[in-house]
Amino acid sequence: MIAVSLQKAKALPLSGKIGLMLVIFWLAIALFGPMLAPYPVGAFVAYDVFDGYSAAHWLGSDYLGRDVLSRLLSGARYTVGLAAAAAMLASATGTALALTAAVGGPRVDEPLSRFMDMLISIPSKIFSLVLVAAFGSSLPLLLLIAAITYVPGNYRIARALAVNLVQMDYVQVAKARGEGRFHIAIAEVLPNMIHPLLADFGLRFVFIVLLLSGLSFLGLGVQPPDADLGSLVRENISGLGEGALAILAPAVAIATLTVGVNLLIDALPGRGKGR
Amino acid sequence: MDEFASLSRRGLIGAGLGLGAGLLLPDSVLAASKPRRGGHIRVASLSSSTADTLDPAKGALSTDYVRHYMVYSGLTQMGGDLIARPALAERIVSDDQTVWHVRLRKGVTFHDGASLTAQDVVWSLLRHKDPAVGSKLATIAEQFAEVKAAGKQDVVIRLTGPNADLPAILAQSHFLILRAGTRDFRTANGTGPYMVTQFRPGVRTLVRRNPNYWKPGKAWLDEIELIGIPDEVSRVNALLSGDVQLVIAVNPRSAKRVMASRGHGLLETPSSLYTNLIMRQDQLPTGNPHFVAAMKYLTDRPLIKRALYRGYATIANDQPIPPFHPYYRADLPQTSLDLDKARWHLQRAGLTGVRLPVYASPAADGSVDMASILQEYGSRVGLNLAVNRVPADGYWSTHWMKHPLGFGNTNPRPTADLLFSLFYKSDAAWNESGWKNPRFDRLLLEARGEADQGRRKQLYGEMQGLVRAHCGVGIPVFISLIDGYDRRLKGLRPVSLGGLMGYQFAEHVWWEG
Amino acid sequence: MAGAATFSGMKAALILIGKRFASSLLTLLLVSMTIFVIAQLLPGDAAQEALGQSATAEQVAALRHEMGLDRPAPVRYASWLSGMVSGDPGQSLVANMPVAEVISSRLPNSLLLAALTALIAVPAALAIGIGSAMNRGGRIDRALNITTLSMVAVPEFLVATIAVLLFSVELRWLPSIALVSDEMSWGEYLRGVAMPILTLSVVVIAQMARMTRAAVIDQMDRPYVEMAVLKGVAPVQVVLKHIMPNAIAPIVNAMALSLSYLLGGAVIVETIFNYPGLASLMVNAVTSRDMPLLQACAMIFCAAYLILMLIADVTAILANPRLRAQ
Repeated sequence: MIAVSLQKAKALPLSGKIGLMLVIFWLAIALFGPMLAPYPVGAFVAYDVFDGYSAAHWLGSDYLGRDVLSRLLSGARYTVGLAAAAAMLASATGTALALTAAVGGPRVDEPLSRFMDMLISIPSKIFSLVLVAAFGSSLPLLLLIAAITYVPGNYRIARALAVNLVQMDYVQVAKARGEGRFHIAIAEVLPNMIHPLLADFGLRFVFIVLLLSGLSFLGLGVQPPDADLGSLVRENISGLGEGALAILAPAVAIATLTVGVNLLIDALPGRGKGR
Repeated sequence: MDEFASLSRRGLIGAGLGLGAGLLLPDSVLAASKPRRGGHIRVASLSSSTADTLDPAKGALSTDYVRHYMVYSGLTQMGGDLIARPALAERIVSDDQTVWHVRLRKGVTFHDGASLTAQDVVWSLLRHKDPAVGSKLATIAEQFAEVKAAGKQDVVIRLTGPNADLPAILAQSHFLILRAGTRDFRTANGTGPYMVTQFRPGVRTLVRRNPNYWKPGKAWLDEIELIGIPDEVSRVNALLSGDVQLVIAVNPRSAKRVMASRGHGLLETPSSLYTNLIMRQDQLPTGNPHFVAAMKYLTDRPLIKRALYRGYATIANDQPIPPFHPYYRADLPQTSLDLDKARWHLQRAGLTGVRLPVYASPAADGSVDMASILQEYGSRVGLNLAVNRVPADGYWSTHWMKHPLGFGNTNPRPTADLLFSLFYKSDAAWNESGWKNPRFDRLLLEARGEADQGRRKQLYGEMQGLVRAHCGVGIPVFISLIDGYDRRLKGLRPVSLGGLMGYQFAEHVWWEG
Repeated sequence: MAGAATFSGMKAALILIGKRFASSLLTLLLVSMTIFVIAQLLPGDAAQEALGQSATAEQVAALRHEMGLDRPAPVRYASWLSGMVSGDPGQSLVANMPVAEVISSRLPNSLLLAALTALIAVPAALAIGIGSAMNRGGRIDRALNITTLSMVAVPEFLVATIAVLLFSVELRWLPSIALVSDEMSWGEYLRGVAMPILTLSVVVIAQMARMTRAAVIDQMDRPYVEMAVLKGVAPVQVVLKHIMPNAIAPIVNAMALSLSYLLGGAVIVETIFNYPGLASLMVNAVTSRDMPLLQACAMIFCAAYLILMLIADVTAILANPRLRAQ
């Protein structure tokens, strides 16, 4: 099992290997980061705010004089975990509904598509604002908001792909063979849309990371003293003018995380060749 | 520039005692510059929304106050020394502090040319008692038992009880004077230094100088454009890039950037603005005096002043009168961080190891960070505080005063009486901690009707002691207000009631470009 | 042959437009109901928000009555709906003027910003996406890939803030806030909105370019493309004649989605640049609990989205003969 994975990893192009390393790195930080943090996440340890590098504080201090490295190590898990979970939830739901719609015919397609239209046409940040104001900010709610926000997008794209594929000759042949709808969806249509969907998953992961940071801009997000990567950027934004590490570090963290995920997904072996 | 900042800070905050904030002027003002006419500036305030209004009674936010002081005048006007002086009123006097006689200034005209009469004043004051108007000061206007004209230039105001502070109350922007019968607030007809040329709620207010302003010589600028930039970083960037010439509410964290720019300056106004911890006295465990004492000992005031406000604050002592206020009582011992005492009180309260949620929100400036600081020190003495950050939207209606442990935020008020009556009186709607102290209530009533300043100071002093010792409110610091300005804009000075010279900068400033 | 194909394409498109019109009304109704229901979950109402903390119960009751908020929720919804059907979106509860008037001062701003951004972003994204797909694995592809990835990897508000620091505060080339007014000339306007457009473009170009590349590459591996290449058709011809008709559906879909973001999703850009657009107006309507205004904004965003999707679907049908049977 591990040997096979290793082999596959070796077969990746260089960009894929870099992506894989970045993804593994951030997964490791998400899992073990809090243990590695030199200081408690909320502790006021530096006298000055927006300090630069020092032996005691590798990434300097933040806008309140807290240790940036510790906050970064503790905050990564929120971004990685929330975004991964929400992206998976959104992609799985969206694709499943899209396949249902594509093989189910207009009677299934129409109501589903109208429902998705409704969800997507309400601006996501405003939607989040209303829900958080109504229910209070919590991790499950953030997860749900992010997932709901990105289901329709995935649905639209997956449906467009699936509808196109259903028209393909080999699918028509399978229909003529008398295969069931479920079989057609899973065995004939899905495998041929995996690659664009994976690309979509990567983008969705990135969007959710950005949505979460966008929400932090609007004051919604993980409860303090913890902070996700986007909130770390946001709360230290006044340090941007002085080029503080406190804002550069989490920005670089977001960039490497999102770029890593995309590089990896781009490099994955494509779909099976069309028949 | 650095010298200016440190000098004014030392001067204003350090000296304090009995000196009105406005008496010490920044050197930039003292450096001789004669007012001159002309120029137009763009001013960025905090917020701007569809709720923007030209109706002074409905004013809710700093942008509204600024707009209203630009176009309207009041019977009285507050200076930097926190003393209300006659304005539209030529004089305002009373023998018993209950019946007040107002003599109006002659020759004052509205923007449409009509003369100011007693009728306008009566109408402007009485409309606050009409629920349909939706006045923000309806509760204060309740003390107007009767307002009637006594001839063309005289008005008699009879109060429900003696109140020596009436002139200060009338200086608030809500009580600015309108033309009798005004119903349409899409534009404004006032007696103020500027006239509205365009008013677009949520976008901008454009005003030009009123050539017939009743104050001789004033105002100086030809035109002022007032906009709102809610995002602080954007606001400061707009100032630094030259797109606006004056901004309100600069975050202390941006102060360094503004001071580093040669063409820009900061106006620091020490104020009585504070963000306070609320410990409900009618709920447990926060009602336990030992818990209250523990929280006060857990508050690291110098850290809050340094980290949150970068020095732009004054250490407070859990009572709402700041050191520079005329009625400040200086002999109260200062409470400071003491983990051992906090631990001891916590043990006495039997709360060691208990998990307690504390509600904070961006709506109460700095409260989220203050909560984080309390949580950090709490963890060292065995108190497990869980910070619950809730959105600013709906904070005041759904969370404020509703939880055992939360935060509030109180703006400067023109008089000690207003502050104590609104927030500390036992039956006050905003008695944040729900404390009840009959002695305090009696003193408050006595001080209100007292005309003798020495006696008043003594009464307010005792009240400060009561609040500090018994009230469930923790006030760590008084927050200084910081405005940023283009150095070509002259004439700015601090008025501790609010930013932008207590929102009244418009008639005082001039442009030297 | 070609004429017949165009004709059947047009016919299919017309049928689609007709069907969509009916279903759009349904979607709009659904949105309005959803907005109404979730807005009911919010604490407080317009009367309380307008009067603030200092309000007496008497004042709140009086204002509630004046605003018509003392009626039961279904009645309020029904009266709003009947007004809407007859073309009147009602009176803004907070601004004290008709909703149509409030909207009309903001909608042109939003549409203009979105249109200008689309004008830059769509061609750029198509060029980047197709260009890198044709050069798959090559140096250009990798360079473009890294560019779009890093564009997508930075939070919007950070892009905006960096742009302001650079172009406004340091270089003083462009204003840091988008001040727009009626008296402005086009030149002044374009200077004013340059930075919001720049920021929004960064956000959507990367997204659209990556989807374009993925869709094109997906088609490139198919036998019919290999056949065309073997027959010696020029690469540009292969892309335009053979690949694009099949890849167009996911591409236009992705683009329509991204473009709909330019209206409702511009809230951060509108906030940072202080641009008086619809998204910040809607946030405003939420915080002040101004239901008629909130509904009107939601209706506009929904309609804009539906129109974009219709354009996407019509384009897809006209481009791909197989879809016309749908």
